[in-house]
Amino acid sequence: MTTGSSRPAWEGQPYSIKRHGVDIAHCDAEPVHTPGCVQAHGALLVLRPADLVVRQASENVAQVLGLPVHDVLDRPLEAVVGAAARGRLQQALEREPLDCSPAYLFTLDADARRPAALDVSAHRIDGVLVVEFEPAAVAQASPDHYAQVRKTVARLQTAATLRGLCDIVVEDMRALTGLDRVMVYRFHADHHGEVFAESRREDLAPWLGLHYPADDIPAPAREIFRRLWIRPVPDIDGALAELVPLVNPDTGAPLDMTHCALRGASVMYTEYLRNMGVRASLTMPIRRGNDLWGLVACHHNDGPARLPHALRAACELLAQVVSLQWHAAEDRGFADYRLRLEGVHQQLVAIAAQEGGLAAMTDATPNLLDAMAAGGVALYHRDRWWRVGTTPDEAELDALAEWLNARPEFESPMRPIYQTDALHRDWPEGERMREVAAGVLAMPLSRARRNLMIWFRPEVLQDVRWGGNPHDKPVVPGPHGPRLTPRASFELFVESVRGRSAPWLPVEVDAAVRLRLLVMELVVSRAEFLDALNADLARSNEELDAFAYVASHDLKEPLRGIHKYAHQLLDDAALQSPEDLQKLHGLMRLTQRMDSLLDSLLHLSRVGRTRLEFEEADLNEVVDEAVEMVGGRRTDFPARIHVPRPLPVELCDRVRMREIFCNLLSNALKYNDKPVRQVEVGWLDPGTHDDVPGATPAEHGQRVYYVRDNGIGIRPQHATQVFELFKRLHGRDEYGGGTGAGLTIVRRLVERQGGRVWFDSTPGVGSTFYFTLIAPPRDAP
Amino acid sequence: MSTAFERVLLVVEDSDEDFDTVLEAARDCGIAARVRRAVDGDDCLHQLQSLDAGPVRAATVVLMDLGMPGLDGRGALRAMRADPALRSHPVVVVSGSGNPRDVQYCYEHGVNAYHVKPHRYPEYRALMREVIGYWMQSVRLPDTGAAP
Repeated sequence: MTTGSSRPAWEGQPYSIKRHGVDIAHCDAEPVHTPGCVQAHGALLVLRPADLVVRQASENVAQVLGLPVHDVLDRPLEAVVGAAARGRLQQALEREPLDCSPAYLFTLDADARRPAALDVSAHRIDGVLVVEFEPAAVAQASPDHYAQVRKTVARLQTAATLRGLCDIVVEDMRALTGLDRVMVYRFHADHHGEVFAESRREDLAPWLGLHYPADDIPAPAREIFRRLWIRPVPDIDGALAELVPLVNPDTGAPLDMTHCALRGASVMYTEYLRNMGVRASLTMPIRRGNDLWGLVACHHNDGPARLPHALRAACELLAQVVSLQWHAAEDRGFADYRLRLEGVHQQLVAIAAQEGGLAAMTDATPNLLDAMAAGGVALYHRDRWWRVGTTPDEAELDALAEWLNARPEFESPMRPIYQTDALHRDWPEGERMREVAAGVLAMPLSRARRNLMIWFRPEVLQDVRWGGNPHDKPVVPGPHGPRLTPRASFELFVESVRGRSAPWLPVEVDAAVRLRLLVMELVVSRAEFLDALNADLARSNEELDAFAYVASHDLKEPLRGIHKYAHQLLDDAALQSPEDLQKLHGLMRLTQRMDSLLDSLLHLSRVGRTRLEFEEADLNEVVDEAVEMVGGRRTDFPARIHVPRPLPVELCDRVRMREIFCNLLSNALKYNDKPVRQVEVGWLDPGTHDDVPGATPAEHGQRVYYVRDNGIGIRPQHATQVFELFKRLHGRDEYGGGTGAGLTIVRRLVERQGGRVWFDSTPGVGSTFYFTLIAPPRDAP
Repeated sequence: MSTAFERVLLVVEDSDEDFDTVLEAARDCGIAARVRRAVDGDDCLHQLQSLDAGPVRAATVVLMDLGMPGLDGRGALRAMRADPALRSHPVVVVSGSGNPRDVQYCYEHGVNAYHVKPHRYPEYRALMREVIGYWMQSVRLPDTGAAP
C-alpha cells in the first residue's frame, strides 16, 4: 500500500526501527527479530566470546552504564562493568547453558557511574554473547512467587476442559502480576484470533469472545512466538536506543534479538497497543507440539509495567505448564465423546466384517451417524455411493470426490484426511451445497479404488463478534507516503458468516483417522479371506472333478445294468403282455434319460472350468461345422438354414463357439412346428442395431450375433426360466425331449467369453437368440 | 508264432452286469472259453503274471474298465507299461467315462484303444463284439515265444 516501489524502505542497509519504522503493507516482511534497537529503559552489549571485548553497544549506555558509546566499544568488559562483574559472567559462561536461552546472572549495584542497580542477564546466539542490563526491581519484601506458581500448577492439573484450564491461567496470572487484563488469545486455522479466556480489571470493557483479524499479529510475530517463551514490552511509550554499530564487525550481520528481553518493539505493535489504550504488555506463547496454538496476552493500561526477572520467570513457567497441560485438559473435556466415538466405530467395523462389506456402516444399527455429530455421511465403496442422513446428491458427490481425490492432504501416509468448516473457501463450487455440506471431513479408504468416507455438516449461520471492523484498514500519510496504520477503532463489529459449519473437533478428526485404520485392517483381512476362499475354490474344483467322475462312471454303471435287464426281459417269452412291454420300454427310456442328464451335468461342469483358447476363427466355417453336427442338412423334416451375409472372423474359442451355434441351431430346429423350419444365422455391426430388443446401450456399440427361427416361440412367463439348468418348458418327450441344459451351457460359454446372451420371442411366430462376445468390434472381413 | 487260438481275453471289470455283457459278446464271437475275469487292478496284474508263468504262454488282450475299487484301471495300465514283462500286452480301455482328461491320460500312458460304454444294452453288446473280434481275431500280436 505504499505509493511508490513495493520494496522495503530499508533495503540495502541494516534495518532499524528508529530509522525505518514500517508500513503495514510490509508488516509480513518486517524483520522483527533484527529491529536494530532496544527498549531504552535498559542497555545491551554484544561481546566477542573469545575475549569478552565489546563489539556492539546500545547507544544509551551512557545513561544506563555511565560510559559513552565510544568508551565502551572495542573495550574489554571489565573496563565497562568492572573486574568483579566480568569474573561472575565468566563463571556463568562455564556453568550455564546460555545458547538462545537468556539467564538472569546477578544484580549489579549502583555506584558513582551507574545511577541504578541493574539486573544482568546473558545468552549466546549466532556466535556472539549478548548481555542485557535492566533496572533492578526496587527493593521490597520479595513475594513468594514459587508458592503462587505451585498452587496454580496444581489447579491447572485438575482442569476438566480446555476452557477451564485457560480460565485458571488468566485469573492466577493476573493475581500474580497485578496487570489490568490477562487473556488467552487463540488462533484459528486462518490465523485470525479470538479472546478465549479473560480476567480484567472490573472497569475495563470485556473482550472475551471477540475476534481479531490475522493482520493484528502478522506472520513474523507469530513465528517469533513459536521460538521464545516470554516477551515483555514494559512501556510502549518508552524510547528506543539503536545498536552501535548496527552490523556486528565480526559476523557482518545484524544482531538476532529474538530472545532479548529488551528487543525493541515494532512501531506497528506499539501503535496498535496505543490505539487500544494499552501502555504495557507481557506475552507468552501457548504451543501445541510445534504449532503456536495461542498466546497468553497481558495488558496494562495504567502506565508502564516493569516486571522483575523473578516474576517474569514465574509467568513463563505458567505458560509452559499450559502448553504441556493443554492436550490433557482437552482430552478430559472430550473423554466421554471420544469413548462413544470409539465404541460405535468399533461396533461398525465389526458389523462390516460380519456383513462382508462397508455398506453395512450406513444402513445398520448403529450406523456412522450414531457416532460423529454430523448431518450426513457418504461412503464410496464398490463403485457406488452409500448415503445416510443429509448429504449432497450423487452428482454433487461425484464432483466433490473428484476434487477431494486430488487434495494434497490425501497424500499424507499417516493422516490422509481433509477437513474444513467452510468448503466453499477451498472449493468455490462447494458453495451450492453449503446448506448440507459447509463442513466436510473426508478420508480415502483405498487409493486404488478411490473409496472414500465423507462426513457432512450443514451451514450454521454464525455471528462473529469482531473487535473492530476487520475489513477497515485506515490509511494515514507517513514519512514514505500514505501507509496503513494499525486499526484505531476496536468497536464491536458483528459479522454474519455464511457457508460455515460447526468446526470439526480434534477428537473427531482423531476418531476418523482411527476408524480409517480399522477399516483398512478390515480390508486387509478381507483380502486374506478372499485368498483363503480362492484356495477353497481350487479345492472344491478338484472335488467337483471327482464328483464328475463318480457321476460319469459310478452312477452310469447301475443305469446300464437296469437297461440291460429291462432289455433282456423284453426278450423273455414269458413276459409278453402289452402292459409288460410298455412298462419295460418305459424303464429303458427312463434310464436313457437319466444317462443324458448325467452327460449334460458333466459337460456343464467342464464348460465352467476348462480354459478357453482364443484364436482368430472364421465363423462361416464354425457355423458350417455346427450345422453338420446337428444334422441340419439331413433332417427328416423340411428345414432351411440361411446365412444372409458372410460371417466375420472373430477372436474366440473356436470349439466353444461351435458348441454355442450347435445348441442354438439345435433348439431352433427342434422347437419348431412349421411346415418348413427356417433358421437364420447372422450378425449386426456395432452401432447399427439400436432397435434390437433387450440390448443395453453399451451393447449397441458391440457386434451382435443372432440365431433366428420361425419356431414355437417362448411365452413371456417363461422368459426368466429359459436359461435355467434342466429347466424344460415342455413335456418330457415333446420336441425330441432334450435335457434342458443346452441354453444353460450356451449362456455359460458366452459369458466365459465376456459376452451376454438374451432373446426376443413371439409365441407362435418364432424366437431370436442374440449374443455378444468381448472381442472388440472390428471391420467386417 | 502266436496265433489267434492262443490268445486270452482278460476282462478287468468290477460290475457283474457289464462283465456279463462282455461275456455275451465273446460268446457271439465264439471265444467265451478264453475269457478270464479280474475284478480290479491288483487282480489284473496278478493274473497276468500267473498267465505268463503258466505252461502255455498265451498272448493276452486286456479289456480294462477304469473306475474300480482298489487299484483302478489307470493304475493297472501304468503298472503294466512300467513292467517290461507286461509292456507288450495290448490294453483296450472300456470305460463309463468319456471325460477328455481320462482319454488323454490313457493314451499318454500307452493304451491301445479307448471306448466309452454305450448306455443302451444292444449297442454296448454290439460294440463289445466289434472290439473282441478285432483284438482277438483280426490284429497281429507280437510273438509270445511259446510253441505253436
